[in-house]
Amino acid sequence: MSADHATPNPSHTGQHTGQNTGQNTGQQHGLSEKGLKAGSVGLIGAVVIGISCIAPAYTLTAALGPTVAEVGVQLPAIFLVGFVPMLLVAFGYRELNNAMPDAGTSFTWASRAFGPWIGWMGGWGLIAATIIVLSNLAAVAVDFFYLMLAQIFGNPELADLTTNLPLNIATTLVFIALACWISYRGMETTKSVQYVLVGFQLLVLAWFSIAAFSHVASGTAFDATAISSDWFNPFAVGSFSAFAAGVSLSIFIYWGWDVTLTMNEETKNPEKTPGRAATITVLVIVIIYMTVALATLSYAGVGDTGLGAGNPENQGSIFAVLAGPVMGPFAILMSLAILSSSAASLQSTFVSPARTLLSMGHYQALPQKFGRISPTYKSPSYATIASAVAAAAFYVITRTTSENALWDTITALGMMICFYYGITALACVWFFRAEAFSGARAFFFKFLAPLLGGVILLVMFFKTAYDSMDPAYGSGSSIGGVGLVFILGMGVILLGVVLMLVMAKLRPEFFRGRVLTRGH
Amino acid sequence: MRYVVGYSANARGHDAVNLAVSLALGRGASLDLVLVVPEVQHSGHAIAPKAGFENLLNEQAQEWLDQALALVPSSVPAQAHIRSHDSDAHALIEAAEELGADMLIIGATSTGIFKRFTIGSVASALLHASTVPVALAPHGYYRKEALTRISCGLGTRAGAEKLLDFALGMASNRDVPLRVVSLLALDGGDATDSADAAREYAAKCLADALSAGGPEVSGEAKAEAQVEAKTEIVVAHGRSIEEAVDRLDWEDGEVLLIGSSRLAKGRSIFLGSTAGRILRALPVPMIVVPSGYELKQLNHSASSDTPREAQQ
Repeated sequence: MSADHATPNPSHTGQHTGQNTGQNTGQQHGLSEKGLKAGSVGLIGAVVIGISCIAPAYTLTAALGPTVAEVGVQLPAIFLVGFVPMLLVAFGYRELNNAMPDAGTSFTWASRAFGPWIGWMGGWGLIAATIIVLSNLAAVAVDFFYLMLAQIFGNPELADLTTNLPLNIATTLVFIALACWISYRGMETTKSVQYVLVGFQLLVLAWFSIAAFSHVASGTAFDATAISSDWFNPFAVGSFSAFAAGVSLSIFIYWGWDVTLTMNEETKNPEKTPGRAATITVLVIVIIYMTVALATLSYAGVGDTGLGAGNPENQGSIFAVLAGPVMGPFAILMSLAILSSSAASLQSTFVSPARTLLSMGHYQALPQKFGRISPTYKSPSYATIASAVAAAAFYVITRTTSENALWDTITALGMMICFYYGITALACVWFFRAEAFSGARAFFFKFLAPLLGGVILLVMFFKTAYDSMDPAYGSGSSIGGVGLVFILGMGVILLGVVLMLVMAKLRPEFFRGRVLTRGH
Repeated sequence: MRYVVGYSANARGHDAVNLAVSLALGRGASLDLVLVVPEVQHSGHAIAPKAGFENLLNEQAQEWLDQALALVPSSVPAQAHIRSHDSDAHALIEAAEELGADMLIIGATSTGIFKRFTIGSVASALLHASTVPVALAPHGYYRKEALTRISCGLGTRAGAEKLLDFALGMASNRDVPLRVVSLLALDGGDATDSADAAREYAAKCLADALSAGGPEVSGEAKAEAQVEAKTEIVVAHGRSIEEAVDRLDWEDGEVLLIGSSRLAKGRSIFLGSTAGRILRALPVPMIVVPSGYELKQLNHSASSDTPREAQQ
């Protein structure tokens, strides 16, 4: 029979009829070719994607309190300093992503640079971080869900429902299950919804800041504190421990920003748009963070009573406490902004661990079933559900053992991000070591920046891990005299080591370096 | 002839491939299996570059398509395509237009438990926007042999005659009998009168179609006579349309052609309420033809010699 079953290029994914232009992007070192369509996202679109990945309203409410607890009034300084290692590491990310675009990201890159064992742990760190943030996102969404109900019905008792442990856990699990289902069905937030969510968040945060400053000006602030240049001096932070803890938290607040750097192929002007978008995104984010940080400190001070930003009661979710006094009846807008941004983020964040798990399953680093893609919805099926189960389990464990689950999860999260970002940055240095001195550009982006960033983050990681053994660390929860943050963070990493050893027994091919080979 | 098949690696996709093979066999058509993958977006935290997931997705899609091609017998030429688009329906319509397809074939659903056809969201979106005929495979369609009979559902409203031309062309091209079906929902005692009226109307339409389309259909009086001899008219009635459909006998290798509602915009398809009810009761595949489609084909044949389903 003639011309039967003419599948175009069966051996080359990404080159099918109508799929793309089939341009060869050069050496891919055994990784499949990219299949992107050029010319879809403009500058504003890229900025919106960047900001929506950061979800500033959620990030601020979750991270502001814990950071103030560590560094007090030097909050603005730490927010600025925290950006430096993030930027340095992001350069390395971009280089790796250009050389080896892969859904496994840290896992694949670290495996290619350092071999299967460190690669596996890098992947585990990424998965753990996203699982932890999922449970935090769901918890924040639940808090603001009840707060919003209270504001709608004018009944403050409704807001207290979130402190009812069984009800809180049940609601959080429902939120996680819903987000998982949406993600499993392959539904994604459309561009226009993203625009609205981002615009709304920025508007509400600006409103909050203006309202806070006008309270300060009219003398109705809770603890009016004059802004001083000392707030911007990172060296004024009391101790290196506090500094390290603050930086690892501020890594979290910029987490997601680096997405704009990796958007080369799908922007309208790949030469300029990603760089400009990243710059604008970070400017917008830094301005918003600075303004809100200053407004919060000026209005509430860092005292540990009442509305003070240093009050442990407030630190899990600062806007839940401050929005009412600052914005009056319009506080409901803040609830709405945080609820919508954390819910949207919850759903979109599911994609991250699911894709990494999928990739690890694909490369035989996890059981085969993690590599499954749903035939109907074309989403990672098993991996998405596994992520949801893990996030739910993590939340239940934290909620039942910690005095302030939100606070402790965010601190553990900062640690976990430092861990896998550090590994990834060093993977970049090692992977490109042959080209590091081939020119000024390569030296800076492939060697110096990721090396500095990676070392800073790993130092922060070890310092925070060491400090967190103190039972008074974080919210002050402890088990057997060891700080809960340490147990959460190290427990997760240890669990990863155990699972890795089990996997090495079950599917040794990957761990013998036969699936993902090292080097170029 | 080219048929675009909307494929997904589940029961629904298999139904569609089976139907496509049935349709292609009697006609020497080639198949284009189109698998739509979603456009991958950036995720939130912890950048998971979309390119990487796209690669895995495309790899998997390619594997699925290879399996799908293996379902197609070697006598039917088939090609596989991966399209990335957020809307399956949109991508299929685009593919059909781009490839110059004569028909779009999809599985209607994979979860019709109580009814044979429960239209899935993709099918429903397609039926509202397609500019080419859409063939819907019922749940569990397994047949892979050529069609044995064409049925054509005839309404009583103007515009329905056009559909007959298409049906006649399809039947004569495949050399199978044509059955003109008139479905009546009656609850009174005037069943006989209405049935007679419907039969008379159907006969008149058929005669018109034969004389008008005849020369074009065959070019020879002999062939025309052949077609006429293989044509029958059936009037089925019941208390509801569904009951009327149930009362008819259906061959395994049969398909029902129906025209789209006149609510449709331009040449696109819109499934009317009656057609929707037929669909729910129908045990065989259904092909929904856009309202302006026959007209397009007639104009087409006058100016060009690329033969389409409607005439030859």
